[in-house]
Amino acid sequence: MKRTLAEPFKIKMVEPLRVTTESHRQQALQTAGYNPFLLNSDDVFIDLLTDSGTGAMSERQWAGMMQGDESYAGARSWKHLETVVKQLTGMDYILPTHQGRAAERILYGILGGKGKVFLSNTHFDTTRANIEFTGASAFDLMPDQALDLELELPFKGNIDLKKLEEAITHHRPENVAAVIMTVTNNSAGGQPVSMENIRAVRTICNNHNLMLVLDGCRIAENSYFIKQREAGYSDKTYEAIAREMLGLCDAFVMSAKKDGMVNMGGLLCLRDDKLGRECTNLLIISEGFTTYGGLSGRDMEAMAIGLTEVFDPDYLHYRIRSTAYLGEHLRKKGIPVVWPIGGHAVYVDAKKLYNQIPVHQYPGQMLVCDLYTKGGIRCVEVGSVMFGKYDENKKLIPAAHELVRLAIPRRVYTQSHIDYTIETFDDILELRHQPRGLRIVYEPPMLRHFTARFERL
Amino acid sequence: MIKKLQKRSWAEPYKMKMVELLKQTTRGQRSRAIKAAGYNTFLLKSEDVYIDLLTDSGTNAMSDRQWSALMLGDEAYAGSNSYYKLEKAVQKFYGYKYLVPTHQGRGAENILSRILIRKGDVVPGNMYFTTTRLHQELAGGTFEDIIIDEAHDPTNEFPFKGNVDLEKLTRLIKKHGAKKIPYVSIATNVNMAGGQPISMKNLKELRKFTKQHGIRIIHDMTRVAENAYFIQQREKGYEKKSVKDIVKEICSLTDGATMSAKKDALVNIGGFMATNEWDVFEEARNLVVIYEGLHTYGGLAGRDMEAIAVGIEESLNDRHQQARIGQVEYLGQQLESYGIPIVKPIGGHGVFVDAKAFLPHLTQDEFPAQTLAAELYIESGVRTMERGMVSAGRKPNGENYYPKLELVRFTIPRRVYTQAHMDVVAESAAAVFARRNKIRGLKVVYEPKYLRFFQARFERK
Repeated sequence: MKRTLAEPFKIKMVEPLRVTTESHRQQALQTAGYNPFLLNSDDVFIDLLTDSGTGAMSERQWAGMMQGDESYAGARSWKHLETVVKQLTGMDYILPTHQGRAAERILYGILGGKGKVFLSNTHFDTTRANIEFTGASAFDLMPDQALDLELELPFKGNIDLKKLEEAITHHRPENVAAVIMTVTNNSAGGQPVSMENIRAVRTICNNHNLMLVLDGCRIAENSYFIKQREAGYSDKTYEAIAREMLGLCDAFVMSAKKDGMVNMGGLLCLRDDKLGRECTNLLIISEGFTTYGGLSGRDMEAMAIGLTEVFDPDYLHYRIRSTAYLGEHLRKKGIPVVWPIGGHAVYVDAKKLYNQIPVHQYPGQMLVCDLYTKGGIRCVEVGSVMFGKYDENKKLIPAAHELVRLAIPRRVYTQSHIDYTIETFDDILELRHQPRGLRIVYEPPMLRHFTARFERL
Repeated sequence: MIKKLQKRSWAEPYKMKMVELLKQTTRGQRSRAIKAAGYNTFLLKSEDVYIDLLTDSGTNAMSDRQWSALMLGDEAYAGSNSYYKLEKAVQKFYGYKYLVPTHQGRGAENILSRILIRKGDVVPGNMYFTTTRLHQELAGGTFEDIIIDEAHDPTNEFPFKGNVDLEKLTRLIKKHGAKKIPYVSIATNVNMAGGQPISMKNLKELRKFTKQHGIRIIHDMTRVAENAYFIQQREKGYEKKSVKDIVKEICSLTDGATMSAKKDALVNIGGFMATNEWDVFEEARNLVVIYEGLHTYGGLAGRDMEAIAVGIEESLNDRHQQARIGQVEYLGQQLESYGIPIVKPIGGHGVFVDAKAFLPHLTQDEFPAQTLAAELYIESGVRTMERGMVSAGRKPNGENYYPKLELVRFTIPRRVYTQAHMDVVAESAAAVFARRNKIRGLKVVYEPKYLRFFQARFERK
């Protein structure tokens, strides 16, 4: 007999949603230049744009918010957060930042610069932007197998160790600023990285005297996959697995808006004294004093509590299974999705679904627009809008894939919301043979997916 | 004897709805705590502090209306409703056209400096502020002080010590040319001069002058409502105008602004950059994504944007400002009644004690203000801040700045402490004053590269 997995919590506070008509949404989308990032959130019914900062906090976190100590220096809330993070990371330098990209900017600003290279399983969009902004280059070293979107592998987020060795030799170790392991691997479909892979990277880093950074905004979700799929971890707690991953790394950057279960906040943690002090100086200039780093006391309090709640086995099981529920049902419907389903999101292969739309007309962006028009669902393109570049003749160099990400905010939507989303894909299937997509009419020089505007062709 | 009614006291235009318990410590505990903190009040734990006058930044008590707005925060990553509320408030009350939220004031300073300043530029302003000047320098500019000389004299009672000396600006333009001056930076109120206001007359003259030379005015508007209150109280022709109207008039004389909402706007976190120029806005929107967050949240939770929007309106209430500045004035008068030398006139957000006059036996190299702040903490658990040589830092060539003013700032958080707390503060300062001759100075044992006042460590000489 089938047993339904219900949420290991009940609802304590609600936020009313507005139901809109298709014609209203068509109008809103046109005003937003066919870029859902530019929609007013009021016009969105189900917001799967991101799982970043959009989670629902627990009553314990809200209670912590009320106890936030807003002292500028040495606040109790900071001591609370510092204690929790020190215990988790075992690192000496714990720097709070207003969010993850500030932690990245500080660390990569110091490590980067012209001529330097960063090697990673996959750099996320803001990570890459931060690195390239310093004049350094970022290289993604995924195994070729992982480019096959449907191949079932347990740890599809791993870095290719052979490619890593080759890249280090090619760029020469002294030019490699750091190796960054992103867990889970967001741009690759939220796929996990195995402990074995991180351990092997550690050995390579040791051989070449390189720094290993863990970008761990979804570290708890990655721990879940390790416990379920990797030999030797089934008896360990999720927290112990996370500590083991961190123990293999020299630095930790985290956007706490994901597995920190909060709406705002980030962390930069380091072992090295010299680097720790340098980063602290930059923190004060750009973020805030060392004991608040640009966060209110209440946000640090909420983060301290969130970082312990996230490792709860019932929560993690619910989290990963409910994401898989959406993915498995879409697949059953014949929607091509990245397989296996990752931790925080379902990725639809838009190039395959909308196979009549040429890549330079952005099939991913078109699918994003259709999902909004048909169902009021907001999601994001992870394809040539986000990662595309131009050659010297201003011709588009497309990204490897044209994906659409449906990210699930933590503890926000019920199964009925997800069922509604699945049903909206029935309308999408009717549109699958449409021949035309979109063209860009405005774009900024960097991170264009946030503010670009489009026109329908 | 029956007391005769002399004057009517102001009372706070609010009552307490939520309280935060305080801890009292012994003198022995405090001596150990300050030693462990390297005689730097920034490095004390807040739980070892009784009355925290370190800063008025982000330490405010929010109103019940702000707390309820907080609950309405829309945490959508893009196009959050809370952003539009904040945008509306900034447009309505400050009159700037375009808004880019940032996680706090220094985030706005960073972005604006990067957009407007080119290497070799000169940025004149009515006295430096620590983070503002640093961002100007990091962007390749040099700060030049054009505040009137009166501002550097702690005993001068000129009512508008935040005014600009147009002669000084003229000399700068002659020397460097107007093209090398991307903007004049105007702070309301001037923090480092002791929370002193600029007059509307002076600002208008400056506006006329800069227009002739095609130079922008960028407004560091962190305490603009407090400045407006002083204009209402002291400047002819403004007696009948509301703080709200005066604030709007001040903003209308400038082209853009950076704001730390943690002061006037009565919140615990947040800031923004505002501008009337589309090009600057467009560039800021692109830059903010890299440094802060997408332009509709800029590194702030939706709930914090809600709280700022409500706080802005509350800050423009005449009676709020009367009680706010009245409380600061009350503390200043109490200190003065004990003979303690303070900067006059008393400023808007704090009382600044003249540490050079308080500890005349110490040389500036013995850090009189840092010393006094440490002694005040040991005396009673009151935490204040040094604003003198340690804060002034070093020039790009490594030499110490020797500022004329060596001050200890008693900063009053908004709506947090009562009149009785102020009495305790004044009495403990008086106790230190009584034993001032026995106080020894400090020497530096650790100093970071930038903004050393935050983290420097000291030992007793």
